[in-house]
Amino acid sequence: MEEIKHYEPFEVDQHLTANSRYYAGRMGSRFYVALRDQQKILGAKCPKCNKVLWPPRSTCHVCFSELTETVEIGPLGTVETFTVVTYNEPVQPRKAPFVYAVIRLDGADTGMAHFLDEVDLDEVHIGMRVRPVFARDRKANILDIQYFKPL
Amino acid sequence: MVQKEQEWISIPMTVDVPYRFAAGQYLTKYLVEMRDNGKIFAVKCPRCKRVQLPPRIVCAECHVKNEEWVELAQEGTLVAFTIMYLPLTDPTTGKPHEPPFVYGSVRLDGATSVLDHFVNVEPDMEKVWVGMRMRLVLRPKEQRTGDLSDILYYEPLPGQVRPK
Repeated sequence: MEEIKHYEPFEVDQHLTANSRYYAGRMGSRFYVALRDQQKILGAKCPKCNKVLWPPRSTCHVCFSELTETVEIGPLGTVETFTVVTYNEPVQPRKAPFVYAVIRLDGADTGMAHFLDEVDLDEVHIGMRVRPVFARDRKANILDIQYFKPL
Repeated sequence: MVQKEQEWISIPMTVDVPYRFAAGQYLTKYLVEMRDNGKIFAVKCPRCKRVQLPPRIVCAECHVKNEEWVELAQEGTLVAFTIMYLPLTDPTTGKPHEPPFVYGSVRLDGATSVLDHFVNVEPDMEKVWVGMRMRLVLRPKEQRTGDLSDILYYEPLPGQVRPK
């Protein structure tokens, strides 16, 4: 008679992988080049709305005007909102705990999410004043700002 | 104002999403037997008699439960192939398989369905053909992990000549 064999529950680890290339465009390229070469942060100025948008873009998201003018903003900024990530997830770039904060740089009217490090997790608050820490080896991507930290 | 020639930035990005799936009762037997004993198991439908690989609990055509297990031969026939000139992402590692390489469908002797995998021949249309006899090459037993990468590739049986 055939022996009945018992198999333990079995799981298989796999990956979904997609390779792509992000083209920064005209305004994005100017932003990344200034960041890499001069450690300067640029925003895009909308002449019609009189607003400074960060990160820079070629079209105003409010009035759809074409944007061509860049202005230097920051480097100091303010936490507009934040979240403390307390669990690990394979798609997260960091191990928990860490802080994502939307930071509005001085002179800009919009904020952008980035890491907020060197901070006590209980101290993070909206309105906190922060400054960027630039990477030593800059490669013209957003991690040329390694993270922000409180003043 | 004349804008001076500017540098254009582009950034290569890789989105890698690891995930884990529960193999379930039938795939578990197939993967565990391949990993531990180097055997390939398929299921046979009691009604249409199709021998299905990878094994499924229910026959997709007859909608009846497959209960008979069949061990397949490690040799088979190449029924289709392609020469890949684009990298194919290996789902077990997330790393691309560098082109060019041959990828083919082999019907193992005793099976109705085919199992696709790499074919270890030069990517040359003169050196690979439909009908070629193939042998399954598994990873050495101590390196097997229980997924499809335990199959390294199909290898042509020696001494074959391309039919005219």
